[in-house]
Amino acid sequence: MKKLLNIIPRVFVVPLFVVAGIIVGLGAYTVYVARLHTYATDEPSACINCHIMVPYYQSWEQSSHREWAHCNDCHVPQDNFVNKYAFKAADGLYHSAVFTLRNEPMAIRPRNASNRVIMENCVRCHTQLTTEFVKAGQISYSEASQGEGKACWDCHRDIPHTVVSNIASSPNAIAPLPESPVPTWLKEMIKK
Amino acid sequence: MCKKLAESIRRKPSIGWVLFVIVMVLVFLLGLLAASITERRAEIATLYNNKKVEITGINPKSEEWGLNYPREYNTWKKTKEMDFQSKHLGSNTYDILETRPEMVILWAGYAFSRDYTAPRGHMYTIEDVTQTLRTGTPGPDVKDMQPATCWACKSPDVPRMMQEVGIENFYKAGWSQYGAEVVNPIGCADCHDPATMNLTITRPALIEVYERRGEDIADATPQEMRSLVCAQCHVEYYFKGDEKYLTFPWDGGFTMEDMEAYFDNAEYADWTHSVSKAPMLKAQHPDYELFILGPHAKRGLSCGDCHMPYIAEGGIKYSDHQVMSPLKNISSTCQTCHRDSEEELRNYVYEYQDKALEIRDRVEVELAKAHIMAKIAWDNGAKEARMKTALQLIRQAQWRWDFGVASHGGSFHAPVETQRILAHGLDRSMQAQIELQKVLFELGVTKFEMPDISTKAKAQKFIGLDMEKLEKEKKDWIQNTPPIWIETARANGKLGAN
Repeated sequence: MKKLLNIIPRVFVVPLFVVAGIIVGLGAYTVYVARLHTYATDEPSACINCHIMVPYYQSWEQSSHREWAHCNDCHVPQDNFVNKYAFKAADGLYHSAVFTLRNEPMAIRPRNASNRVIMENCVRCHTQLTTEFVKAGQISYSEASQGEGKACWDCHRDIPHTVVSNIASSPNAIAPLPESPVPTWLKEMIKK
Repeated sequence: MCKKLAESIRRKPSIGWVLFVIVMVLVFLLGLLAASITERRAEIATLYNNKKVEITGINPKSEEWGLNYPREYNTWKKTKEMDFQSKHLGSNTYDILETRPEMVILWAGYAFSRDYTAPRGHMYTIEDVTQTLRTGTPGPDVKDMQPATCWACKSPDVPRMMQEVGIENFYKAGWSQYGAEVVNPIGCADCHDPATMNLTITRPALIEVYERRGEDIADATPQEMRSLVCAQCHVEYYFKGDEKYLTFPWDGGFTMEDMEAYFDNAEYADWTHSVSKAPMLKAQHPDYELFILGPHAKRGLSCGDCHMPYIAEGGIKYSDHQVMSPLKNISSTCQTCHRDSEEELRNYVYEYQDKALEIRDRVEVELAKAHIMAKIAWDNGAKEARMKTALQLIRQAQWRWDFGVASHGGSFHAPVETQRILAHGLDRSMQAQIELQKVLFELGVTKFEMPDISTKAKAQKFIGLDMEKLEKEKKDWIQNTPPIWIETARANGKLGAN
C-alpha cells in the first residue's frame, strides 16, 4: 500500500480515499435499500420487496401450500445449488428489468421456463401421487405443452394463487412488506 | 492542508483508511436521508386523504372532481380517443346505415332512418346528440322533433336540472329548451356521490321501476351497483304518454318476451311504419337486460369488471374510467380469470359475434322484404282487417331483430339468448312474408318487383326522405344554434373545461 501511495502523484492521494469511500458507500446503500441480502434466502417476504407481487403473496398465504412450500420451493429449480441460484438470478434480473421499465402486465403469468420448473417441483413433492397412483407426473411440461398430456394446473386451476388474479386484485392485502429503510433513530432525530 | 494530509497518508496509510470509512459512512447516511425525503414525497400520493377541493351537491363539471381523483379523471378523458377498432365496432364512429341499408327500410317513418352511426365514448354524448339528424333543427320557427327526455342519458347536468325544475317538467319540455343547460358530457356526477365517492343512482327511471317491482335499489350490493349505475342508461326504455316520461318496461320481467307483453298490454307503439303501416316498437339498447342472462353475469361479474378493469399503478389501485371494449385490454380484463392467450380469447369473442351477426344479416334482408310486401298489398287495395295478422308479425319480428342488434354487446354478453332472439326474429319475418303472400294471392297479385335498396341513398329515396334538404338544414343549424348554447352556458358558468 505504501508503495502504491508513493507511486501515484501526491494530488491524487486524498481523492483516492474520498472517491473510494463514495463508491463503496453508495454501493452499500444500494445493497441495503434494495434489500439485496434477502434474495439469498428462501424467505417469501423477499418476493414482496417489490410491491406488485403482494396479490400473489396474499393468495399463497391463504392457500394450503403455505404450510409446506414457500415461493422458491415451486418457482426455482431444486435439483442442485448451481441451477437454483442461476435460475433465480436470471429470473430476478428479468423481473427487475420489466419492473424498472414499468412494463409489467396486469395479469402476471409464468413464462415457459418457469412453467417447466413449477411442474418439476409439483412432481418433486407429490412424487408418489403423480408417479405411482396416477401417471401425470411421468411427463414433463414440454411434453404437456405439446399436447402429450396435461400440466398439473390444467386441472388444478386455482392452486395456489386462485383463478382470479392480477396485480390489481389485492394490492393492499396485509403482507410483510419491507419496512422503511430509514432507521428509527434518524426519524426521531428529524422529528426533533 | 491537502498536501500535508497526503504526506501523512503516504507515511501512514491507516490515516487514509480512516478518511475512507468517514466518507463511506457519510455517503451512506446521506442515502438514508434521501430515502426519508422520498418517503415523505410518497405520502402525497395517497390522494383520497389529500382532497384538494370539496365537491358538494350535483356538480357536473368533471374537471373539478379531477383535482381530487386525477387517475380516474384522466382515464375518463381518454373516452375521447377513437383509435380502437375490433372486428366489429370500436371506439370510432361510422355510418351504419351506409353499410347496412336495409335498416333504412326497417325504420321508415322513424328518425333512425335518417341517421344512425356507430357509438363513441362518453366524452361525445353532447356532441353526438346535438349533431345527429334525429334531433332535427329546432328553433324559433321550427318545432322540436324530440322531447327533453332525449337529454336524459347525456349529461350530469340532467339530474341538476331535474332538481331545479322537477322531473316531470324536465321530460315534457322540448329538447332544445335545455340546449344551454345540458352541456357537459357524461361524467363523475352521473354515478358518484361527491361526499363518499360511493356509486349512486342519479336517474329516476331506474329507481321508479325498482319501486314498481317491489324492490328497493338501496339494497343493492356494491358489486351490483357496479352494473346498476350503467343500467341507468344502457337499458331498454320508452317515453311514456304525452308527458314523455322516461320509463323502463321491466314491470313483468327482463326478457324480450316480458317486455313485449308489457308493450302489447299497454297497446303501445313507438311509431307507425311509413312503408308497411305496422305498429312498431323500437328496442333501444337492452345491454343490461341481455347481460344478466349471460354466463359472465351468472358468475357474479359486473359491467365494471370488464369495461372498467382495475389498474395497479405504483402502489395505487383504481379502476380504468376509459369505459370501452374489453378487447382493447385483454391482459387486464379476460386474462385476470382466463388462462388462454390474447389471440385465443379475442377469437372466442369474434366467434360469438360472427355467429349472431350471421342470423342478423338474414333477418335484415327478409324483414325489409316483408315491409315492402305489405306496402304492395296496401297499394293493391288490401283491407285493414286482412292485414292485421301480417302487421302484427312484422311488429314482433322487428322487435326481436332490434332487441338482439341494438344492444351492441349482446352477441357476446349473452350469446345463446341473443341467437335465440334473432332466430325468432327470422322466423317471424318469414311468417310475415307467408301471410303477406296469402293476402297478395287473394288480391290477384302474383308478380311484384322489389325496389333497389342496395345503398343508403337509394333506400332513403325509396321511403321518401329528402336527405339533401335535411342535411343542409342540419348543417346550417349546427353552425348557428349550438355555438349560442355553448356561449350562453359559458357566460352562466355552467360549462366545464372539457
